[in-house]
Amino acid sequence: MHIPDGLMHPLISLTGWIVAIIVIALSVQILNKRLPYRTLPLMAIIGGGIFVAQMINFPIGAGTTGHLVGAVLAAILLGPLAGFTIMVTILIIQALIFGDGGITALGLNIFNMAIIGCFLGWSVYRAVPEKYRKYGILLASWLAVFIGSLACAAELAGSFAISGGLYGITGLIAYPTILIYHSIIGIGEAIITFGIVSYISRVSPDLIHVPAIKAKARKGVALE
Amino acid sequence: MNSDKKLLIPILAIIAIFALSLIFYFIFSAPYGDGLERTMEEAGVEGEPVFEAPLSYGDDYFTTFAMGLIGFLIIVGLVLLVGRILGRKDETHND
Repeated sequence: MHIPDGLMHPLISLTGWIVAIIVIALSVQILNKRLPYRTLPLMAIIGGGIFVAQMINFPIGAGTTGHLVGAVLAAILLGPLAGFTIMVTILIIQALIFGDGGITALGLNIFNMAIIGCFLGWSVYRAVPEKYRKYGILLASWLAVFIGSLACAAELAGSFAISGGLYGITGLIAYPTILIYHSIIGIGEAIITFGIVSYISRVSPDLIHVPAIKAKARKGVALE
Repeated sequence: MNSDKKLLIPILAIIAIFALSLIFYFIFSAPYGDGLERTMEEAGVEGEPVFEAPLSYGDDYFTTFAMGLIGFLIIVGLVLLVGRILGRKDETHND
């Protein structure tokens, strides 16, 4: 779901940049001097792990693939702010070093994947009653991909409408196509996220940021 | 240091899982685009890079594996650097 350069109308790209910069600035302000040094190695490994996981596309049928985004995973393991920090770092390196996602579209990619994934995904997860938190992981992961793709489709359709067809993709194609593909990709995201969180909660509950999971894991209550 | 040894295990595990997953990636997925790329194909539109990125993910197993390792190390280093700038030495959680 990495948007390349030249696809979106400049106004839409600029809006993405403005939103991304505002959220990054707010996150830095909140996080500044509150991030304990002891969490840094874990953040770094999770960041590196998500980067390589994003390189592994899995088939979803019809000659199409998807890959883990990992934003909900990062938010559950590290908290939304630390998770957002590593997702932004990943997206910047992907764009600047590997050409995966455009420079002009970086703001939109940060919005679609990091902001929606970490903050909306986290909020959905936390909104699920504690008794059903394990389903919250699945729901939050799927929704983060689906809503992120909905935003992407809206950006494409908006670009098309503003530019009279010069940029973007008509909403008649963008909405159904992207949403159908990503409703399936989201299932993969949900399964992988659930699997990793469940595994870590068993072998090393102290690594998990979310108190509810940590407490359950310490008591020996499995997530499945 | 004990914590360094603790970190070595997940790092090696991530690299090992990556190495194994890449095999399945090249068997089943490598030629196909992701959801957005397929949508762009169906709509007949293409992106136009504004600059030439210094690296790419590669088209064969060993190149992709090497690029994954390089990217992994860059991300690890950069997150540690950003964390050092934003972090503090005490034990308080961030939120």
